[in-house]
Amino acid sequence: MHSFFFNYVPGNSLIHHLDPRTKLLAVMVASIFIFNAETFLELVTIAGFFVIIAFISGVNYSIFLKSLRPMSLFFIFLFFIQLFLSEGKPIFTIGFINPTYEGLITGLQITTRFIFLILFASILTATTQPVMITSGIERLIRPLPLKYIGVSSFDIATMMSLSIRFIPLLFDNAKKIQYAQMSRGMDFKNNIFKSFSSVAVPLIMSTKRTAQDIAIAMESRCYQGIYRTSLFELEMKNADWIVLLGISIMVLLFMFLI
Amino acid sequence: MSINIKNVDYSYNKNTQLETRVLENINLTIDKNEFVGITGKIGSGKSTLIKLFNGLFVPDNGYVHVDRVDASDKKTRKKVGLLFQNPHEQLFSKTVYEEIAFAPSNFGIKGDDLTERVHESLHLVGLDSKITDMSPFKLSGGEMRRVALAGVLAMKPEYLILDEPTSGMDIKGKKELYSNLKRIHSTGACVIIVSHQIDDLLPVVNKIVLMDDGKMTFAGTPSEYLENISSPVPEITQLMRGLRSKGFNVRNDVLTVDDAYGQIKNLLTKK
Ligand SMILES: Nc1ncnc2c1ncn2[C@@H]1O[C@H](COP(=O)(O)OP(=O)(O)OP(=O)(O)O)[C@@H](O)[C@H]1O
Ligand SMILES: [Mg+2]
Repeated sequence: MHSFFFNYVPGNSLIHHLDPRTKLLAVMVASIFIFNAETFLELVTIAGFFVIIAFISGVNYSIFLKSLRPMSLFFIFLFFIQLFLSEGKPIFTIGFINPTYEGLITGLQITTRFIFLILFASILTATTQPVMITSGIERLIRPLPLKYIGVSSFDIATMMSLSIRFIPLLFDNAKKIQYAQMSRGMDFKNNIFKSFSSVAVPLIMSTKRTAQDIAIAMESRCYQGIYRTSLFELEMKNADWIVLLGISIMVLLFMFLI
Repeated sequence: MSINIKNVDYSYNKNTQLETRVLENINLTIDKNEFVGITGKIGSGKSTLIKLFNGLFVPDNGYVHVDRVDASDKKTRKKVGLLFQNPHEQLFSKTVYEEIAFAPSNFGIKGDDLTERVHESLHLVGLDSKITDMSPFKLSGGEMRRVALAGVLAMKPEYLILDEPTSGMDIKGKKELYSNLKRIHSTGACVIIVSHQIDDLLPVVNKIVLMDDGKMTFAGTPSEYLENISSPVPEITQLMRGLRSKGFNVRNDVLTVDDAYGQIKNLLTKK
């Protein structure tokens, strides 16, 4: 099934009950920390924070680890790019291939940072329903003067929730088309190029068609991209203010300690 | 030569929280020389059932054999031609020719043989050979469905299975399709049609299968069906049964309008 993106895991933890805005801000702050982390100790501290927050969320650790899987090729690529292309003391040299110690260190550093980034983001997606994430983002960007570039924060929110809604649809559809073509003898082993296009072309066509249908359905129900009251009104509670206070204290401490 | 289905269960999303049992204890034999209709309410499991016939789905329990070989065997894919619901959504080629040639060429047909099959299938679905160089996406919805159907016919399957082939067709198109299917059946192929439209099915098939909520509640000849099942039956059958219950001397197994016309006319002339 489509279990690898935005896999919300229902729960009743403190983290689940926080306002999405609080969680979004926390993830932003966490990413700033992550990208400033250089030493081993700093990285370990961040890992510690992740373990604790993940524990509080009550979501099984394996869910977070699974969210890394689709990105694993990217991580490997990132690591090897650093390893082979950094200047420094070579570990060994074969022809023009020379991994360096400096490359090894930065490679590990950068890859670890990206892994942490995904892990923290996956706490957000695991504990927050996609519609709540979108309304959180919508609320956060509402004060921005977006109307000068021709969109409103509601347009952006609508686009985001529509894209999220399309992901499982896309997977189901791809599966269905693949079965249909397999019934016509399609076999990826025979002619990979033709097999690929026999799934990709109908998939793109049908997605385009669905998108058009949705647009027409929205317009015929008077969608205008202006302010709409929401089914889920966001509300900052005490817990949110406490968490935000905690985050601010940490940021201040960090700035003065460095 | 037959498709044998024995004690078959099937669930979607196996081993997850979303697991749902869609087919339950299905037992069915379809002989090669039969013309079969499968009917039932929406969501009763018809489309799922036929995906077991060419091995796309593997049953949780029981087995599906095609000519005594397990349906998941490579060889059955070629024997069993399956056309999905909304087949126009699977078109992908640049030309109608390539689209129809896709299935047979996947099964190793080449050259003149292939060309001949493409034209033959186009003819069977009532399309003009002139359109072979057109893009399938430029065709009308009904024409696209026919091209998709031709794409399966070109495989020359021994078992031809069609899921709702008449949805979105006009009456003339339906008539043509059924008469073409009868022709294909007479050449020795087994034809299996899934349809809601019992009015269309009963007069042409020689076996009818009724699905209800994942279970097979009936399988037999149309006359057995009319003896045992009170609903759904064709509207014309209902009408004649209504007349009969009002005391008119008409048969209760009338399936076609022509037959009904003959009987009513008889009644009137007798008076
Ligand atoms: N990919 C899927 N994942 C989960 N459940 C499914 C899937 N496809 C179908 N189902 C469920 O299985 C049941 C049977 O579906 P199926 O498509 O076989 O019915 P059908 O008889 O062909 O209906 P229709 O007449 O609407 O075509 C339905 O309840 C449906 O919700
Ligand atoms: Mg169906």
